[in-house]
This record gives sequence, structure tokens and C-alpha cells, in this order.
Amino acid sequence: MIRTSAITKIVNTTEGELQILQPISFDVNSGESVAIVGASGSGKSTLLGLLAGLDQVTEGEIYLDEEPLHQMDEEARARMRGEKVGFIFQSFMLVQSLTALENVMLPAEISGHPKPRQAALEALQQVGLEHRAHHYPNQLSGGEQQRVAIARAFITRPKILFADEPTGNLDAANGDKIEKLLFELNHQSGTTLVLVTHDTELASRCDRQLHMYAGTLTEDDSVQLNAEQRHVS
Amino acid sequence: MSASPNNAAWTLSWRLFRHEARRGELTVILLAIVLSVAAVLSLSLFSERLQSALTDRTAEFLAADRLLGSDKPVPDEWLDKAREQGLNLAQRVQMRSMVFANDELMLADVRAVDNAYPLKGTIKLADEPFGLGKPVNGLPGAGEVWLDSRLFQVLGIEKGDKVEIGEREFLVSAVISELPDGGFNVFGGDPLVLMPLKDLAATGISGPGSRTDYDYMFSGEDAALDAYYEWLEPKLDRELHYWRSVKDDDSPLGRSVRRAEQYFLLASLLAIVLASVSIAVAAQRYSHRHYDPVAIMKTLGASGAMVRKIYLLQVIFIATLGIVIGSLLGFSAQYVVAELIAEKVPVALDNWHWRPFFIAIFTGVVCAMLFSLYPLMKLFSVPPLRVLRRDLGANVGSRIIQFIAAGSAIFVLMWAYSGDLKISLILLVTGLVLAMALMAVTMGLIWLGRKLGQGRMGAWQLAWARIQRRAMDNSVQLISFAITIMLLLVVLVMRNDMVRQWQEQLPKGTPNYFMINITDQQRPVVESHFSERGLEMDKFYPVVRGRFVAINEETIRTDVTKEDDDSGRRGLGREANLTWSSTLQQENRVVAGNWHGDTQSSDKPYQVSVESKVAERLEIKLGDVLRFNIGSEVVEAEVGSLREVNWQTMQPNFFFVLEPAAMQAFSPTYITSFHLPTEQKAQLGELMSPFSTVTLFDVDARINQLRSIVSQVSLAVEFILVLVLCAGALVLVAQVQSSMDERQQELAILRTLGAKGMMIRMSVIAEFVIIGIVAGGMAAMANELALYLLQSQVFNMQTTVHWQYWLLAPITGALVVGVLGAISCWRLLSLNTSQLLRRMV
Ligand SMILES: Nc1ncnc2c1ncn2[C@@H]1O[C@H](COP(=O)(O)OP(=O)(O)OP(=O)(O)O)[C@@H](O)[C@H]1O
Ligand SMILES: [Mg+2]
Repeated sequence: MIRTSAITKIVNTTEGELQILQPISFDVNSGESVAIVGASGSGKSTLLGLLAGLDQVTEGEIYLDEEPLHQMDEEARARMRGEKVGFIFQSFMLVQSLTALENVMLPAEISGHPKPRQAALEALQQVGLEHRAHHYPNQLSGGEQQRVAIARAFITRPKILFADEPTGNLDAANGDKIEKLLFELNHQSGTTLVLVTHDTELASRCDRQLHMYAGTLTEDDSVQLNAEQRHVS
Repeated sequence: MSASPNNAAWTLSWRLFRHEARRGELTVILLAIVLSVAAVLSLSLFSERLQSALTDRTAEFLAADRLLGSDKPVPDEWLDKAREQGLNLAQRVQMRSMVFANDELMLADVRAVDNAYPLKGTIKLADEPFGLGKPVNGLPGAGEVWLDSRLFQVLGIEKGDKVEIGEREFLVSAVISELPDGGFNVFGGDPLVLMPLKDLAATGISGPGSRTDYDYMFSGEDAALDAYYEWLEPKLDRELHYWRSVKDDDSPLGRSVRRAEQYFLLASLLAIVLASVSIAVAAQRYSHRHYDPVAIMKTLGASGAMVRKIYLLQVIFIATLGIVIGSLLGFSAQYVVAELIAEKVPVALDNWHWRPFFIAIFTGVVCAMLFSLYPLMKLFSVPPLRVLRRDLGANVGSRIIQFIAAGSAIFVLMWAYSGDLKISLILLVTGLVLAMALMAVTMGLIWLGRKLGQGRMGAWQLAWARIQRRAMDNSVQLISFAITIMLLLVVLVMRNDMVRQWQEQLPKGTPNYFMINITDQQRPVVESHFSERGLEMDKFYPVVRGRFVAINEETIRTDVTKEDDDSGRRGLGREANLTWSSTLQQENRVVAGNWHGDTQSSDKPYQVSVESKVAERLEIKLGDVLRFNIGSEVVEAEVGSLREVNWQTMQPNFFFVLEPAAMQAFSPTYITSFHLPTEQKAQLGELMSPFSTVTLFDVDARINQLRSIVSQVSLAVEFILVLVLCAGALVLVAQVQSSMDERQQELAILRTLGAKGMMIRMSVIAEFVIIGIVAGGMAAMANELALYLLQSQVFNMQTTVHWQYWLLAPITGALVVGVLGAISCWRLLSLNTSQLLRRMV
């Protein structure tokens, strides 16, 4: 599903160029769930942004479902995101002036779904929030907001789902709920899942963990985090 | 539901618009557009209506729209051309001549008019001399004349008697109370006689040798009048002809109307500027609040084109709604005001003007588009990556470019709207000066803040620290607050100055009757007679009638009807009223030489001060020696000064004012004036009956006319002031609101760090108060500059320094900005910390 070879990211700062990612190569298979873990500032979000086509690599190649992301411009990547990718974020990222239902409808409408409202209602039902459909985000709790975000992520039946610390802003109980929901839906629809997390529990539920350390990637099958990482989480 | 992304843009845009509108997020930006449209529409509708009403009123004083004056009859071809152009034409021949009756005679201002006279305004007649005038249609019939009240008094005649003018006898058929073109020169004028033009030839008083003015009066469409003048102008001889229109009317009325027009223009410009600023501020805020939705939509696969479409459509929705509401509001506001003053001004409410609607809609569209363009461009450039990296914002150009763009947009808008480069430039320049001064002040403040910011962290220190941390943001804020306050000051102070100067021209109790020919013996009797009746007399001016006979030994022509040969210098053509005084009269200004004062030196010849226009006409220079024959005596005096006289004031004015010593030998008669309320006009007969030799001048009607117009214009100006104040208030609200957003994050952090609510509140209020004080103070200074330029360059007014506002502006600034800041800060802090944090997301 994802193939990368020697991707790097260099950004310009006021103090000159800064290499955030060292050359990284790895693959993710279709239907697989992968956790990216690592210390704060190690480059997890940066990598996720590149994989999801939100950002452009400096060098290297990324193929997402066989499409060459690294050759596409922003418009082409946007189209691809709409067709194949779903997102969940730490800060939920709901549009504040739209209701829960309308937030869920949003990606469906953007990609020209024939019946966005009906699909959205179904998706809300799946996350158990159909009774809050007409509430605005600020009328929902954090956990509820994240469930709306999950409904939104699955409505277009994406081939691959990216999540950046989906439980990061939630308490343990709510975090568990979200976690469960996420994997449940993932199994149901056979979606490939790539998530960034500090949560060892969440990471351990994934098929595979990738460890980031100062812009480099090490694969580790044992869910063993070093002291530094434990400290951060 | 939507099946194509194209429809999705519509649906999304409409949905966002609806929700945002319902949640009140669009209120400020919508209000800004509504206000700019409403202001422009009501102002231009109103001023168009009022202007045409006022121009009509002022045209009455000319009795026409345009007037061609000539020393000789003009070729018939000229008049035919005017008729061809569809203009109305009236003729008036005017000369000075004696009127005889009962062995008495008096010099009169004889006006022979044709049937079309007057083209504008109405003639008023009285039932008896000095009676109350009533408007009439019609003119004296063949063989009839209408006379001024004074002629009845002096000649001792009544209606139905006969008078002789030149070689013909006329029947006196009415008492003139008022002619529209009677003129404001109360005192210098001779009594009026109105006669049919057809009868003029038979009198033999006009024609070669007499000083006769041939006036041709025109009325019609402005375009036709202008076209006619264009045709006529090359044919005119400056020596013989002159062309007058209401616009170059230099009477107090003409000036008031012109100033009011300029004020309307200025006020509408400022309303546009203020509304534009609030649109810009609100659009900026709107754009900022939509960074996240845009990043989200882009992340979810929306193309750039789709995002652009969604937001451009929203701008169109907002603009359309704003323009519709604004038009309705503007129209009704204007209608209500026009209705309210309809009693006083005959504003044509049924007259439909399309132009203001076009201007207003154009303004709404331009404002909405131009001032939201930059914020929108920023919004469009928000990268989807913002969903991961929250600090990523828009990335377009710099703020400087935004200011240059907004500044030139406002300038172009002002210029296009006013067509007046001068006003537009003055406003632009003072705005720029203010902006630059404020930049410097902000830097100074930052420096000061660094000094004060050291030590314990109290509310004030916190405020200072914040001000210096966001130096750039704050200077922007400071500039917009200061410019807003400045513009409000300009409109307010301008209005005050203008209305005050108008009222000063005609203070309450302005004399409306003049008496001349009061003898030395009569003077105390008159004084006691009037004071018994509770009437106050003005100053008594001594007058001696004298004939001006020679300049530097060179004899001048004195005869009224002498052949127009070129021998000898031009004279005054009649006896002059000579007065003496050691003090310069009000509204008189020495333009050359020195006022003689009361310094009497025996070795110097007597001094005389001459009115400057007469001096020019008679070619009198400083140092010339003038000779007057007074009775059998001769008085010589050297011209010590030339005076400019404001003939428009309601006071006696004199061509020649001598030094008192020169005139001690003569027994004068006196001129004085008094004020009698219009309602007490009936008492006039009884009041004057003991003094049959005293001549009375009645200017009551004239003064009332002037006063009513001035009050109408003032009312209109008031209405405009209120509109502009609303626009200003809106800008302030928009600014505080947007600067509150910027503070939100910081407040949330301070809150989480455990800062007490009271301290945060106080520090925010302190910050706004500081900004208010500085902005108000700077605005007062810039206001002074703008007013000086406007009043001296555009309005031709006396300029003054307005010290009171130097104190008032900072205080009000601190108060208003502080209160607005406190209100929005209170709202924000009433949320708890987690709500606050959530709002930031
Ligand atoms: N555009 C940029 N300019 C400068 N520095 C950047 C930029 N993008 C990322 N960085 C830096 O690169 C590093 C990696 O950032 P990234 O957000 O990927 O870390 P992360 O692993 O997701 O951390 P966290 O666990 O805190 O979310 C950080 O030090 C960040 O400051
Ligand atoms: Mg991260």
C-alpha cells in the first residue's frame, strides 16, 4: 500500500537548513496497521504528513496505492487524499461552524458522494452519536468530538487511514473507547492504518511499530520503549 | 443532494454562510458593508435632494439660474440662441433715477422688467408701507409702478397716487416688500421701483449717458445652461459683460451652501473610509478564523479551486445581503430625515435618483471585494499541513504591502467618489503622517515599557509587557484606532466650526430695521422712545452727506446723467455718506496703509479711510488727497488706509471714514438699527409715527430667509454627523473584537498558569486604555493638521486651534476603547479555561 525509498525532509529556518528526516525507506502492506512511536520532536508528524501527501518530500520516492506522491503537485495530492485517505488528529480538527453531521458529510461532499447526508448518518450511527447529529463541536465533549472525527474519516471508505496521536487529548477512559472504535472500524473495512502515538498500549495493538529517533527510523517488533520515550509519554 | 464537486462548493458555501450568520460570526463584517452602503446611499440621495432644493432656493436670490450682466444691450442673436437651447429668458434693465411726487424727490433704484421676471423666487407685496409681505404672481401693468416702502414715506404718497419718473407719469399700484433679487446690501441700496420694461423708453431715463445695467436672466437644465455659456463665453467682453451663476454667489448664503456641499462630500468620504476599514478589519478576522476550516477541507481533498469558490461565494452572499440591507436602511434613513425637514426644505421626495443607488452598490461591491481580497488571498494560501503543524499560517506578502494596497484603494475610492483631488489628498497625507508618527510613538512606548516592565508583575506591567511583545501588531492597532478617532474628530469639529460660523453671521437679535436721517435733536428722543418700549438700539453712526469732488486737485465728474465723455476722472455719481470714527468697524479690515486711529497730529493733514473696491473703481491710491464739498464747506483729507468691507453683514458700511477731527464743524444726522421680533411687526407704525422724517429700512424678511436656510443646512449636517459616528463606532468594535481574538490564546495560557481573573482583566483593560490614550492624543494632533488643511484649502474658513480636543480626545479614546475592550474581555474570561483552550483549537 505504501512504498517509500530514501525519503528526506529538509526545511529552511532562520538559522539555515535543517534536516528533519534522514533518508528513510520502508513499506506498509495493504490492511496492515502500523504505529510510529518515538520521542517528541523526533519527526513522527513530519513523516506522517509526507506519507499522507500533506507535505512534499525533499528527496526520495513515496508510492501510495501505487501512485507516485513525490511527483504530484498539491492539487493532484488533494484529489488523491479525497479519494483514498482518511485522517484523525490529536486536536480533532472539526469545523467549528458546522454541526457534527455536516462535519461528517464534508469529505463525502468534497469528493462528490451521491448521498452524503445518508452516508453521514450511517457513519454517525456506527460511532454511536446519531442523537448528537445536529450539535456543534463546542457542544460535544472531547471524546465525542473524536468519535465524530472517526465517523468523518471512514465515510469515504478510504484505503488508508492516518492518525496523529488520536488519543493524545483524551483521558484514559475516553482514549480506550476511541482506540476500540478505531480498530473495530479498521477491521470491518479492511483499511490500512498508520498512526503516530505516545501511547504504548495503543502502539502494542498495531501489527507493527516503527521507532523514530532524531529523524531516523528503526523497526522493532518488540514493543519495548526506552526510558526516554517512557518519560515523555 | 450534491453529486458534483461543483455543486458541493455551492452547498458548502451556503451552509457555512448560514451557520456563521446564525451564530453571529458575520455580524461585524455584514454591518460594515451595510453601513458603508447605507451611508453612501443616504448621504448621496439626501445631498442630491437637498442640494437641488438649496440650489433652487439660492437661485431665487439671483431670480434666475444664470445672469448675464452688460453695460449695453446685447445682440438679439445671443438671446435667440438661448431660446433655441430651450432656456427661459427674462430681461431686467436697471438704473438710478429720481422719483418725483408732491414736490418731493428721491433717488431710486429703478428696475424695468419684462413679463418673464422673475424666473426663480417670488415677489412679495405689502398692503401698506412696512407691512407684512405676501407672495404674489404678476407684475405692474402698463403705466403702473410698484414702490419700496421708503419711497412712500419720503414722498408722502399712498397707493393710487401718481409719481413721475423721467418724462412719464405712473400710477403707484403696490408696495414692494421684497424682490427675490433685492440684494443683501441693506444699507448701500436706494429704494426699489419696479416698472414694466415696455414703459421704460417713454421715461427717457435710460440710454446713452446714464449708467444703465442690462441684465439677462436665464433658467433651465444645468446641461443646457452650461452649453449656452460655452457658446457665449468667447463672445463676451470682460469690460462690458459679466456672467453670474448661483455657484459663484459670494453671499453668506452661497458660501454656506457651498460649504455644506463640501461637508457632505467630506463626510461621505470619511464614512466610506471608516466602513472600508471596518470591512478590512472584519475580513481579516474572518479569514483568520477560517484558517482551520480551509486546512481541513484541503486535507479532506478539496482542490484549491473549490476552496476559492466556497469563500468567494461567501463574500458574494455577504456582500449581497449587506448591499440589500444597506440600501433599504440607507433609503429609509434618508427618507425619514427628508420627511422630518420637509416642512422647512421643499425636498423633492418623489424625485427618483438612480445615481446614488449605483454609487452605493458600487461602493458596497468595491469595499467588500477590495478589502477582503488580501485576507482571502491569505486564507487561500493556508497549507493543508496546518492540520499537523498548528503554527503554520498563511504565507502571502507582507503587511506593508497590505497597507499600501488598502491605502491606495481607499484613495482611489475617495477620488473616484468625490472627483476632488484636493480633499482626497489632504485626507491621505494626514493619514500617512499620522501612521508614521504612530510608528515612532509605538517604538517609544516599547522602550518605555521595557523600563517600566522590570520588577514585579502587576496588571500594568503585564499590559506593558504585552504591548512591547507585540510591537508590530500593536502599532497596526494603534494606527487604526488613531485614524478612526481622527476621522471622527474631523467630522465633528468641522461641523461645530461650520455651524458656529453660520450662526455668528446672524446671531439672535440681529438688527432687522435700520433708521437713517435721525437729527442731533431727535437722537435722545428716539433713544428714550425705544427704550420705553423695551427695544435696544444699536450704535448711532454719525453721517454727513457730502459730494466727492476732486482727487489731488483734479476735478472729477459728479453728475449722475452727464454724457459719457471721457473727460475727467470717474466719480461716485452721487452724494456719499461720510462718517467719522477713531475705531475700525467690525467686519472691516485694513488692506493697505494704517488705520488713522485717534492720534491727532496738527502737522499732518486729516486722514480718510476708503473702501477698497471703491478705491479701485475710482483709482484712488494711498496718499491721494480727496476733496469733499459738504454744504458750502470744503474738506480735504489724505487717504491713510484702504479697507476691505464685508458688505454681507447686517450693519451700516461706509465708503469713506474720516478721522473725527476733520468733521467737528458739521452737525450730522445719525444712522442706527434695532431688532424688532417679526411677530411685533404691527407695532412698527406706532413706533415710527413720532419720527416722520426718519427713513426706515426693513430687512426682516431677508434675515428670516437666510436664517431658515442656514438652519436647514445645519440639520442636514447633523444627520450626516450621526451617520459617520455610527461608522466610526462600528470600526472600533471590529478592531477591539479582532484584537481580542489575538489575545485569546495568551489569556488562555495565563489562565492555565494560574493568573487571577481579576489581574488578567485589569491588565487587558489597562492595555486598551493605554492604546486609547495614545491613539486619542495622536488623533487630536492629526485632526488639527487635517482641519487646518481642509479649512484653509477647501472650505475657505477661518482656521482655529481646538485645544479642548487635545484633552478630550485621549480621555474619550481611553474611555471608549477601554470600555469596548473590557466588554469583550469580560465575555472571553467568563468562559472557563478548558472552554477557552477549546476555542483556540
Ligand atoms: N517547517 C519546519 N521548520 C522548522 N522546523 C520544523 C519544521 N517542521 C518540523 N520542524 C521540526 O522538526 C522536528 C520534528 O517535528 P515533528 O512535528 O515531526 O515531531 P514529532 O515527532 O511529531 O513530535 P511530537 O511528538 O511532539 O508531536 C521538530 O523539532 C520540529 O520543530
Ligand atoms: Mg507530532
